Amino acid sequence: MIGFIAFSVRRAWQGFWRNAVMSFAATATMILMLLLLSGFWVLQSGLNATLQFVEQKVEVVADVRGSASLDQVNALAAEVRALPEVASVEFVDPEAALARFRARLAEQGREDITQYLDRNPLQGSLEVKLRDAAVFGTVVDVLRNRTDVVSGVKEIQKLVDDVLAITGVLRTAGVIVILLVGLTVLFIIVNTIRLAVVARAEEIEIMRLVGASDGFIRWPFVFEGALVGLIGAGVTLGLLALVAPSLGRLMFDVFTVLPLEFGTLARDLAILVLGAGLGLGVFGSWVSVRSYLIR
Amino acid sequence: MTVAPQRPPSIVGNGPAVHAPRQAPPPHPARSVWARILGRPTGSTGDRPLVVMRHVSKVYPNGKVALREVDLGIPEGDFVFLVGPSGAGKSTLIKLLIRDEIATSGDVILDGQNLARIKRRAVPKVRRRIGIVFQDYKLLPQRTVWENVAFALEVTATPSRLIRPAVDRVLAVVGLTGQARQLPATLSGGEQQRTAIARALVHDPRLIIADEPTGNLDPLISWEILQLLLRINELGVTVLMATHNADVVTALRRRVVALEEGRIARDQVGGAYHRED
Repeated sequence: MIGFIAFSVRRAWQGFWRNAVMSFAATATMILMLLLLSGFWVLQSGLNATLQFVEQKVEVVADVRGSASLDQVNALAAEVRALPEVASVEFVDPEAALARFRARLAEQGREDITQYLDRNPLQGSLEVKLRDAAVFGTVVDVLRNRTDVVSGVKEIQKLVDDVLAITGVLRTAGVIVILLVGLTVLFIIVNTIRLAVVARAEEIEIMRLVGASDGFIRWPFVFEGALVGLIGAGVTLGLLALVAPSLGRLMFDVFTVLPLEFGTLARDLAILVLGAGLGLGVFGSWVSVRSYLIR
Repeated sequence: MTVAPQRPPSIVGNGPAVHAPRQAPPPHPARSVWARILGRPTGSTGDRPLVVMRHVSKVYPNGKVALREVDLGIPEGDFVFLVGPSGAGKSTLIKLLIRDEIATSGDVILDGQNLARIKRRAVPKVRRRIGIVFQDYKLLPQRTVWENVAFALEVTATPSRLIRPAVDRVLAVVGLTGQARQLPATLSGGEQQRTAIARALVHDPRLIIADEPTGNLDPLISWEILQLLLRINELGVTVLMATHNADVVTALRRRVVALEEGRIARDQVGGAYHRED
């Protein structure tokens, strides 16, 4: 068994270098395709992070009556916080609301119009963050029932539904695009490896005629495909590492507010590239040699 | 294993000739091939059939009938020329023997094994008992003579310590010891074909099948290859050689099996290339 593996690996290595042109063509195709796949993966991750961010923004906002005491508000906040679907509850009192409003005006470079007011016109509010934007549960009902404290709950159900519908479509589209790109990559790589195998059809025929068993014909090619995949993945990861700093800066600029962890992304990408390279190389060779073995 | 033809074997004519009734019986029926296979007392009784084909027909999926009801027996140690025009079925017959194709009907038996019944994974072992030589040599251009011959052993799980002596021995048999380190492209056609013969021999096969081995060679070199095959035959290896080389066939007066339109038109021991009426 060890002898067989050693034989296959040695033959794979020889085969790779003896047919250098085809091997390099297959490896170059592999690198290009893996880069394409990585690019789409990064885009998809960015899109996902964006959607997650948008979804996190969605919350239930209840306006608090000016007549309600702080104790009442705190009691209601505690009650809502205890609900299983709620992630957090924050009470924004009128002063904080005014400060936030002023800050937003300043951000937009507009004049602070509130300085002309003799009193704060803003109400306090309870801002509820949900664990899952799709699950409201009883939050809205609980808030609406406390009419002594709450003057109204913002009609955000529809907004939430719309946002969820859009993010759902975008997520599905992202998955479909990745799948299509993946299929294209699979098709191109399998065909390139097939070309490399076809170029050695005579060698396979000789092996068959001198009585080589299927394993002795197949495995060297499979190892060779794995070699193409590994080298392709290695070079791809090297290239990605080269562009990573500038790519990271770009992503920080674009997605500065996003909960995107570059370390996790890099790890996922490494696994994806290595797995796809190895898998495609092995699969491509296996399929290509198969057509010569079935007689 | 016994061979039981449906009609009694003729001592005079060869069985297969019955399938071509318009043909006159062969003029040199030195001894019946079937009798030899069945061990009938007509000469060397110890002969043992290595190849038996019984009522073998081959129809390809496109409807082309390549062989029709072929009966053929080749005893161990025989030297047989397979002749006939292109498209007569020679290549199909060879493909059936190396089990590259399976007969549509009838039995192809090699060394007691029915090739239609063996499992796919047993096919490589069958092929190791056959050495095959082609018109176009089929050598790997990036490997030396030595490596080309060793290749046949490497890919059949031969322990490496056995490969070197075996390769050296067959290269000596075919007279290529001095060219062992050369690449095929630097060799003459005759040397390339001798390399291919060495590769066919290295498994110590029972049967050598040569498909037009002299097709690409000039007459002098063709004779050299023939001499080599005859020598190998003298060592006890059965040889089946498909050829268009009339001079060689007629001069050697060995057994000649002539195929025409998928039928055996003539099976004659000591025959010439063309029918001698």
